[in-house]
Amino acid sequence: MTELGQNLIDALALGSLYALIALGITLVYTVMGMMNFAHGEFIMLAAYALYVLAGLPFGFAVAAALLTGSVVAVLAERVAFRPVRNADLSAQLVTSLAVAAILQNIVTVAVNARAQSVETPTALSETTSIGGLMVPNLEFVTLGLTAIVLAGLGWLLYRTRTGLTMRAAAENFDMARLLGVRADRVIAISFAISGALAAAVGVLIVMQTGQVSPTMGLTPVLVGFVAVVIGGFGRIFGAVIGGLLLGALSSLLGVYLPDGLVPFRDAIVFTVPVLILIFRPHGLLGGEVGRARV
Amino acid sequence: MSSARLRPRSSALVSLLIPLALIALVALVGATGTPSLEGTVIQILCNLIIVVGLQVFVGNSGVYSFGQLGFATAGAYVAALLTLPAAFVLLQTPGLPDFVADANAGPLVSTLIAAAFSALLAAVIGLPLMRTSTLAIPISTFAFLIVAYNVVANWDRITGGNAGLVSIPTTTGVGAAGLWAGVAVVLALAFKWSPSGYRLQATREDEVAARSIGIGLMRERMIAFTISGALCGVGGALAVHQSGVLNPTTFYFGATVTTMTMLVVGGARSVLGAVAGAIAIAVVNELLRGIENGADLFGVISIGEAPGLAAIGLGLILLATMIAMPNGLSGGREAGELPWLRRPRSSPPPPLPAAEETDGAVPTARPAPGTLRAEGVSLAFAGLRVLRDVDLTLASGEVLGLIGPNGAGKTTLVNVLSGFQRPDAGTVSLDGASVAGSSPARLARRGLGRTFQAALPFPHLSGLENVAVGAMGMGASRRRAVATATDVLTRLDLTELARMPAGAMPPGSQRLLGVARALAIQPRYLLLDEPAAGLSDAEGEQLTAILRNVLADFGCGILLIEHDMNIVMKLCPRVQVLDDGRTLRVGTPQEIQADPAVIESYLGSNFLAAVDA
Repeated sequence: MTELGQNLIDALALGSLYALIALGITLVYTVMGMMNFAHGEFIMLAAYALYVLAGLPFGFAVAAALLTGSVVAVLAERVAFRPVRNADLSAQLVTSLAVAAILQNIVTVAVNARAQSVETPTALSETTSIGGLMVPNLEFVTLGLTAIVLAGLGWLLYRTRTGLTMRAAAENFDMARLLGVRADRVIAISFAISGALAAAVGVLIVMQTGQVSPTMGLTPVLVGFVAVVIGGFGRIFGAVIGGLLLGALSSLLGVYLPDGLVPFRDAIVFTVPVLILIFRPHGLLGGEVGRARV
Repeated sequence: MSSARLRPRSSALVSLLIPLALIALVALVGATGTPSLEGTVIQILCNLIIVVGLQVFVGNSGVYSFGQLGFATAGAYVAALLTLPAAFVLLQTPGLPDFVADANAGPLVSTLIAAAFSALLAAVIGLPLMRTSTLAIPISTFAFLIVAYNVVANWDRITGGNAGLVSIPTTTGVGAAGLWAGVAVVLALAFKWSPSGYRLQATREDEVAARSIGIGLMRERMIAFTISGALCGVGGALAVHQSGVLNPTTFYFGATVTTMTMLVVGGARSVLGAVAGAIAIAVVNELLRGIENGADLFGVISIGEAPGLAAIGLGLILLATMIAMPNGLSGGREAGELPWLRRPRSSPPPPLPAAEETDGAVPTARPAPGTLRAEGVSLAFAGLRVLRDVDLTLASGEVLGLIGPNGAGKTTLVNVLSGFQRPDAGTVSLDGASVAGSSPARLARRGLGRTFQAALPFPHLSGLENVAVGAMGMGASRRRAVATATDVLTRLDLTELARMPAGAMPPGSQRLLGVARALAIQPRYLLLDEPAAGLSDAEGEQLTAILRNVLADFGCGILLIEHDMNIVMKLCPRVQVLDDGRTLRVGTPQEIQADPAVIESYLGSNFLAAVDA
């Protein structure tokens, strides 16, 4: 029984991490209609900020990492994504792929292609016992952070003027613009938030694995994409559900797969959602893409 | 004397020969250079094959796949394992089944088996993936790339795992690579110009319009995905037989970005773009790597494991292309379509040869009487009732006018009839058989044609191609499709549009072309949604004449939604009036005009005066 509880908590924690990734991706998709390949590189760059600032107080390093994520995201939007704002989905996707390749290789040139290890506070790698369950402190941080982010986003989107303009832009971009919503500002804000979310994920990953590498954003961005797809494009809370499902699946497979198949866990994790798409081509919650324009 | 061709013969020839000449030139440079240069050239040609493979799917479908390098991986491993010397098999891949380990395939056989395996894999992977939506395909193919990597990297006993394979026989010469590249180009062009290729291009140009002429999205994507997989497998197989080494990252994210850059920079819509992009980017890449190595000469920078600098350069080129030149170097055109390769033309293009009575001509006076019938159709959007218990009957050979104020539900009714919208209640039947739940494509193939309020042309295809695709959607061969399209264009007096890209036509012409395209499926029922909207007076006259022609020549039943009452009164012996989702009245134009309810809701009291004037 405790073992089951333990596995479920682990599953929830990984699911929360994946939900954070998916949230960052879906936020930009909702407002601008772009699936951002470079989101993984925002994660990676924030992680490298921790690496570069190792030795400074950890709280300061984390704040710097969050800022890095935001600033890089806003800059990428200004330089690369704004010019293709009106291009079709595929063109935007390829553009963000280019940005991803550039950022990844800048780090390769500036640091190294190999993984580097990063010191993290020991308090985070300890576990706390609750009713017989040994819960790693990092999982508390992840769960707590996800809860805070969800509450914060909910507040921003549904309780503030900025949130109203973002939702309006998501609903009908051109109309919102005609009604005086400042499109550039709304998109910049969503990129800033998305970048900060990516950075938070980067920090969590570093705390978990203790290392950084130029390609560390690749799997997370795929996780986020797949979560968004199975949740339904443009559904913010669909993405959360997609992330939770994917994380839980991955975590539980790690425990219950026969030993010989464990190395293939990622392969299985990414195959299952695609199977979901066969039966629900527009995701679990249905989405805005592919609606017939007649 | 052959009938008209989809594209002038000289243009097709140039389109084929220029890419082949480029490949020959590259191969020649390799054959006459140093061994190191030859190796580089062979790798370039292998990459080129992969990029051409990418073009077959991405270029024709307009949907990006980030997974095609997974098929190159598959082809490379199959070819490597089939040819690995026995001593090394034991060392590197102890779990390999005997029949593979003992196989002693030559370069040609191993490449062919690799192609077949990759094609099979693409078909198996494509079956679920091609069912997903246009935006989900890039993501799910990307997932496939990572899954393929994961499997190859962890299946140590078969693939050698992360350590990879070494001592693979290096049998690929520059001649073989060049020949295979030529084969890839011929195959890619043959596909592009086949009915299946045209149908796929139509879905790229406009998914909705493509469905309305009977094109099944998934089927056409599957075909291209499979061919693409085979070509990528060939590229991978040949490359590994040049380098002699292979590991899970050989064809992974970096190679995906590189090949995608090549395709986009060259211009994805054309095979010429794939070839030119592959060569141009390869040259730039070599220069960039030269700079990396140059720095090494002075001992300033020691080379890392990854060619970071070159990759940054490629990323910047890809980014700049997407922003400034999204159609690429070729502009998406084949060599024969490039303005500076075409002979200057002072006289207008030669007219299409008159349609002879070939088997492709649309038969006049078709008998087969029947009806398209809707009964008790109701539909609500989020509580708003758009259609309420509507009946409609359209007999073949008759013209039924459908009128009503904006928001009356006319277009929605047409959408229900043509399968684009499923009704909440009620039935639609075609010649007595219920067609509930049929897809628009299937209904089109059963003889239901339609146009849209927007013209929805296939902008990058010529007028003739636009119409011919309609016939191809019904499964016609290229020859028959051309005959049908020529016939339709001639009868509608639109032959001057034949050689012009639809995207360059004025809106009125695009609209008339839309009617021609719908007629090319040889429909028994034709639903026209405001065909005269936005037409000039002269074009309106032309349309009226066309519709009279259609009546006389094609004999199909026509449902005409039209606001121009003059056109309705001239063409329609019977008119149905919709108002607020309900049928207000069905009758002759005279009865409609005299009906007080109709006058109040729609025509307005000034109407009679306007008609009389």
